[in-house]
Amino acid sequence: MKSFEYTITDPVGIHARPAGILVKEIKKFASTVTVNKGEKSVNALKLMALMGMGIKQGDTIRIDVEGADEETAAAEIEAFFKANL
Amino acid sequence: MALDYRKCAEEIAKYIGGGSNVISAAHCATRLRLVIADNSKIDKKALEDVEGVKGMFESNGQLQLIIGTGTVNKVYDEFLAVTGVSAATKADVKAAAASKMPWWKKILKTPGDIFVPILPAIVASGLMMGIVEAIPKFAPAFGNTGWYAFLDLVANTAFALLPVLVAISAARVFGGNVFLAAVIGLMMVHPALLNAWNSGSVQGVATFFGKPIPLEAVQNAINGLDPKVAALIPNDFLNQAGALFDLSKGVSPSVINSLPSEAASGIWSALNSSLTVADIGGISKFALFGSYGISQVGYQGHVIPVILAVLFMSKLEKLLHKIVPEMIDLFVTPLVTVLVTALLTFTIIGPVFSILENYVLMGAKWLAGTKIGATVMGAIYPWTVFLGLHHMYNVIEAGMIAQTGLNTWMPIASAANFAQFGACLAVAIKVKNAKTKSVALPASLSASLGITEPAIFGVNYRFMKPFLCGMAGGAVGALFGALFGLGAPVYGVTGIPAIPAVNNIPLYLVELLIAAGVAFVLTIFIWKEEKPEEKAKEPEPEKPLELPTVSVIRCAAGTVMQPVKGNVIAREAIPDDTFASGVLGDGVGIEPTEELVVAPFDGTISSVAESKHAIGIEANGMEMLIHVGVDTVNMQGDGFECLVSEGDEVKLGQPLIRFSREKIKAAGYSDTVAVLLTNSDDLEGVECGAK
Repeated sequence: MKSFEYTITDPVGIHARPAGILVKEIKKFASTVTVNKGEKSVNALKLMALMGMGIKQGDTIRIDVEGADEETAAAEIEAFFKANL
Repeated sequence: MALDYRKCAEEIAKYIGGGSNVISAAHCATRLRLVIADNSKIDKKALEDVEGVKGMFESNGQLQLIIGTGTVNKVYDEFLAVTGVSAATKADVKAAAASKMPWWKKILKTPGDIFVPILPAIVASGLMMGIVEAIPKFAPAFGNTGWYAFLDLVANTAFALLPVLVAISAARVFGGNVFLAAVIGLMMVHPALLNAWNSGSVQGVATFFGKPIPLEAVQNAINGLDPKVAALIPNDFLNQAGALFDLSKGVSPSVINSLPSEAASGIWSALNSSLTVADIGGISKFALFGSYGISQVGYQGHVIPVILAVLFMSKLEKLLHKIVPEMIDLFVTPLVTVLVTALLTFTIIGPVFSILENYVLMGAKWLAGTKIGATVMGAIYPWTVFLGLHHMYNVIEAGMIAQTGLNTWMPIASAANFAQFGACLAVAIKVKNAKTKSVALPASLSASLGITEPAIFGVNYRFMKPFLCGMAGGAVGALFGALFGLGAPVYGVTGIPAIPAVNNIPLYLVELLIAAGVAFVLTIFIWKEEKPEEKAKEPEPEKPLELPTVSVIRCAAGTVMQPVKGNVIAREAIPDDTFASGVLGDGVGIEPTEELVVAPFDGTISSVAESKHAIGIEANGMEMLIHVGVDTVNMQGDGFECLVSEGDEVKLGQPLIRFSREKIKAAGYSDTVAVLLTNSDDLEGVECGAK
């Protein structure tokens, strides 16, 4: 399993649109991606659950990537976060 | 910066006068809702300055502090810890707000609450009774037909047995068992008791209880009869009666009733004026406590004693359920409840009302004698109807006819009743609420025919101002009647049915016109329909929901109904690339024409956006996002009000978000609502579009 932490810079946080494109990105990989904030963790493919976490600007989240392509997936997803969120 | 919940809660507690000043506390998605004991202890200015309190207002007896989604629950928890107040549900807070009404307001409100559910019954009966009883006044032959007797039975059922209806409705208001209440109501009109309408009549009391009539009075009555009627009586009538009964004790009523009906009714009407009920020994009693007994008289036409009895019954029943062991509760509680309530009703409530009735009777008699008195009586008459004391007035009228041949009470009662008609008609014309209108119109017609209960209880008293306007009209009309010496040689009718009997028909019509006119005009000008604004702001879950009828998305897992009224457009036409592209799932857009989002199916709220413009709902594997407007996240909640919180179970049609189209427009965004199944890829047979 690969993990990385990320602090959100997008002013609206992970809301509908950012969440939507994040899910789209994650769907490209075979690995299971989990987003953790505090004690809560959700499967990043579950759009509503992801939005339900209420992740805002300044929040630090941890992303766990686990699966056959976890190496590439983790790297690409982290890049995606930096570029978009 | 994170809010210090504890500090916020402590400051709120401080500025509302401490925990002891809190009756109950609850919170919704965004607000802390408090019911405060003493509002004067609130420091409003300081409260608004508390960090974390974004705004405050008072509504429906609640102090509402806007704190925000996600934080309000934490502040609430701290608030409970700080103040020691126990958690309340929203319903509790509402109940507490209702109970915070001043006691006199609550008392005034209760009869209205009880009467509203039974309105259909009494409006229908009142109207029918007014018509059926009016016909014989104009066409006397009809009064002897079988149709009249039958229609009269149908029409007066609800009134003759009114206490039963009142008891059942009162039990629902006070939370008692409706069947036990029905028993109490039925008991109060039990056929073994003298009908209250007859309690002032010598004929009624004597016939019902078989009370002998003093011989001399009967002889005088016979001597006073019209010779033609007297000829119907056998010469040796009293001798024959003497052979069967001991006449020194009096004449049995059954002997009089055995005479030809014309003769019998002639004798009775003479006896009704020459004797009082007390002269024949009064109403029989159940001897219960030594010399103290319960009068064997029912409560026909009564309302207030029934309400009081059922109020007591409901409280007693609740108390007994609490203290009686469960094993024997089922038979002990109902038994004790009914028995104790019956005893209390007949020994205390009943006698108090009969004393009250006597005072009202004496007062009314005295007032009716002068012109000023008549004016006063015209004003307060509807209150006596309200209290159910008006059925004693026949006694006054009969007495007047016996003394002077002219019933001058009738114009007073007519003015009062017709004024209630005028006020009620004004409400019927002015009111916008279709339901009120549909009650007020027939109620006013029935009042014009002399049956005012539907108008008073169902309309005028409920809104109070029309009732007061009616009092004014009654006073003016009664004064007019007294000034011109109006009267009639009959009794028991008022309003339109009394027209053929009055001594001066044109002046009587003028009196009716004045009474109704004054009440009508005053009501039109003074009374304003209360706008249900408060309610619109605070949608109540018990309010019947308007269910959406159009489905917008259908799939194997279920159907998504249209959550916002407006024009349904294709997902691709939503003016936002992300939504339109389907990245967030398949669905539709809606160009709203209204400002309320309702639940599109029964489900659970899975997420509520901090900025209140979007909401997630789940059910049966469907994950739905309803997003109001495009880019509206930037409005940070301004113009949006979320009515539910995460985790709430919601029903189809339940309001979820209220939004302001104007504010969205002002912020420069599209108000198109995106309705999307975010996991549409995982669902089978997804089909979008209005259907």
